[in-house]
Amino acid sequence: MIELKSVTRRFGDAVAVDDIDLTVETGEVCVLVGSSGCGKSTTLRMINRLLPRTSGEILVDGEDINKADPEALRLNMGYAIQSTGLFPHWTVARNIGVVPDLLKWPAGKRDERVDELLILLGLDPETDAIKYPHQLSGGQAQRVGVARALAGDPNILLMDEPFGALDAITRENLQQEMLRIQRQLNKTTVFVTHDIDEALKLATRIAVMDKGKIIQHDTPEEILRRPASAFVENLIGKGDRGLKLLALRSVGELMERYPQPRKREPNADGLKEADSLRFALSVMVWKNASRLPVNSEAGEEVGTVTREQLLQGGA
Amino acid sequence: MPLITTLPNPVKSNRVVQALALAALGCVWLLDLGVVQPNRIVSGTGYGLYASTGWLGTGAVISLLVVVFVLATRPAQKRFQVVAVVLTVALMTLPLLLEVLARRQLPEDSGYARIGVGAGFWSLAFLLALMLLETLGQLKASRRFQLSTVLLIVAGWWLCASREGLSSLALIREYSNRSDQFFQALTVHLSLSLGAVAISAMLAFALAVAMVKRERMRRPLLGLVSFMQTIPSLALFGLLIAPLGALSDAFPFLQTLGIRGIGWAPALLALIAYSLLPMVRNTYVALMEVPESVVDAGRGMGMNERQIFRQVKLPLALPVIIEGVRITTIQAIGLTAVAALIGAGGFGTFIFQGLGQAAMDLVLLGALPTVFLALAADAILSALKFQETSK
Repeated sequence: MIELKSVTRRFGDAVAVDDIDLTVETGEVCVLVGSSGCGKSTTLRMINRLLPRTSGEILVDGEDINKADPEALRLNMGYAIQSTGLFPHWTVARNIGVVPDLLKWPAGKRDERVDELLILLGLDPETDAIKYPHQLSGGQAQRVGVARALAGDPNILLMDEPFGALDAITRENLQQEMLRIQRQLNKTTVFVTHDIDEALKLATRIAVMDKGKIIQHDTPEEILRRPASAFVENLIGKGDRGLKLLALRSVGELMERYPQPRKREPNADGLKEADSLRFALSVMVWKNASRLPVNSEAGEEVGTVTREQLLQGGA
Repeated sequence: MPLITTLPNPVKSNRVVQALALAALGCVWLLDLGVVQPNRIVSGTGYGLYASTGWLGTGAVISLLVVVFVLATRPAQKRFQVVAVVLTVALMTLPLLLEVLARRQLPEDSGYARIGVGAGFWSLAFLLALMLLETLGQLKASRRFQLSTVLLIVAGWWLCASREGLSSLALIREYSNRSDQFFQALTVHLSLSLGAVAISAMLAFALAVAMVKRERMRRPLLGLVSFMQTIPSLALFGLLIAPLGALSDAFPFLQTLGIRGIGWAPALLALIAYSLLPMVRNTYVALMEVPESVVDAGRGMGMNERQIFRQVKLPLALPVIIEGVRITTIQAIGLTAVAALIGAGGFGTFIFQGLGQAAMDLVLLGALPTVFLALAADAILSALKFQETSK
């Protein structure tokens, strides 16, 4: 658990972070979102003491972070940044192994961990491990950056716009990976982004920041339903709020479930339980269908969902 | 299409080798291959290719150039390989032309008569070397291969020079008159220049690190080392004589160490002063240009400042630092020759003696090894830098 208590950070006369309170529960993903210069990166960098705070208190699991040695603190916090910051003179494997090396793990354990992470991030332990960063695509480099952040098995993960520089498709893929990895590992995560869609997708709770203050700290659904101010309303975009709400829930939550799974008709159109309601609606509009069957991961038909249900109960 | 498939590794068509071959033909036609001097001072008579070597030598040289010209007309991997081999062998055996000249034209009874190397020989050697370079470039030869070619040629020249037939070569005469002095000069030259580079490398490293740590130190320090670079080398050597002389007068034990107004001490100091600027500048720039994001990531991972410096900044800066050492070493080897003027020794001694006696071959005996040392230092440090960069 990370607690920020009336934390302020000044650069000269300018106030970058203005007296904020924020609690990140263990295992949750807290996304700091806001336009550039709002203080979100500054907040993140105060948590691992890359920046000292001007006043206030930051506690990790109840302990003031200033009491610990900064290097020891950072070794227990994975850190991934937009520019990846991969060491250009080291191979991918050595880059990922940097924290295990700093923690003085035995070589065997470190190598095992590196392979495990390469597989977790969808990279090839045989071919990719021996590459140098300049031989990687942007998406691969960012995967390595995330793998490196996870390598020391830290309790906390700090991510500063890690997918900001990637193209839309690669970013989407990596967000999916993040969700999958987070379901597996349950790391307490602070994630900074300026992209509200990314925030809505990844966050357990979102903290909207503006001019160094936290305007609203709530779940994605609450942020969409009850934006605290005109600024938040603007940020989430008034026009497609409904669609964004639909995007938060899955078909499985809304469908009418059959008492018994049925055998799927071959080649029939169908949705998956994990698909978002937004996706379901889009498919229905496109196919002009008023009802679609829903299939489980195992491939059995487990229920149906209608256009009426989506329109009435979705948002 | 079929033409390309027959060339597995197509070589680009160009006329460089042919143009060089034509130029070489012109040079051997117009310029003297060698000079026969009755003694070391008198300028002597020049002999062209035919006059020096007769039909055999002339035929060999001209057919070599024609063969290279013809082989280079159509670019093909195999033909260029042949050209590379032919040129290497030609360069290795080139001094034999002078041996033929000595056998044919040198008066037998005179113990002082000697063979001087003429402009034609130098031009031919230079143009052949350029052709070889171009051919190796076209073949995309590896560094190791290029280096072994150079070593082969050097070995060839060494073998030729140690033959009895070339003992009348002026350069070799001058050398055999002073072979002890030659090796002493080599030792002094190397230890002065390399010693200065080593000391200033350590100094420059400390200064650059200080500049990186304290921004305020940057301007005064860079200003100081730049200022030292602007003093003409002769003036700096001269300027150091008075204070060092006074110092050794005041502290006699310094004299027993050899520290006096003239000799190696002022030379070493001046060389260090000159070496500082390129080294400080390169080291500073290299350390400053390590991307901030990489350092930030290192810090964020939990590295301490020492680990960041040793594991991240230094390795990333190393190629540029080595580049500074390379520039400095070449410069120091050249400057050490000038340091002979204040009695520091080294190859400069031969150069200035030769100038004083109007004996050009003695000048060459000092100048050629200096050039060779500089080239060798350049090759070694370039290879080192290349290795670091490609990591």
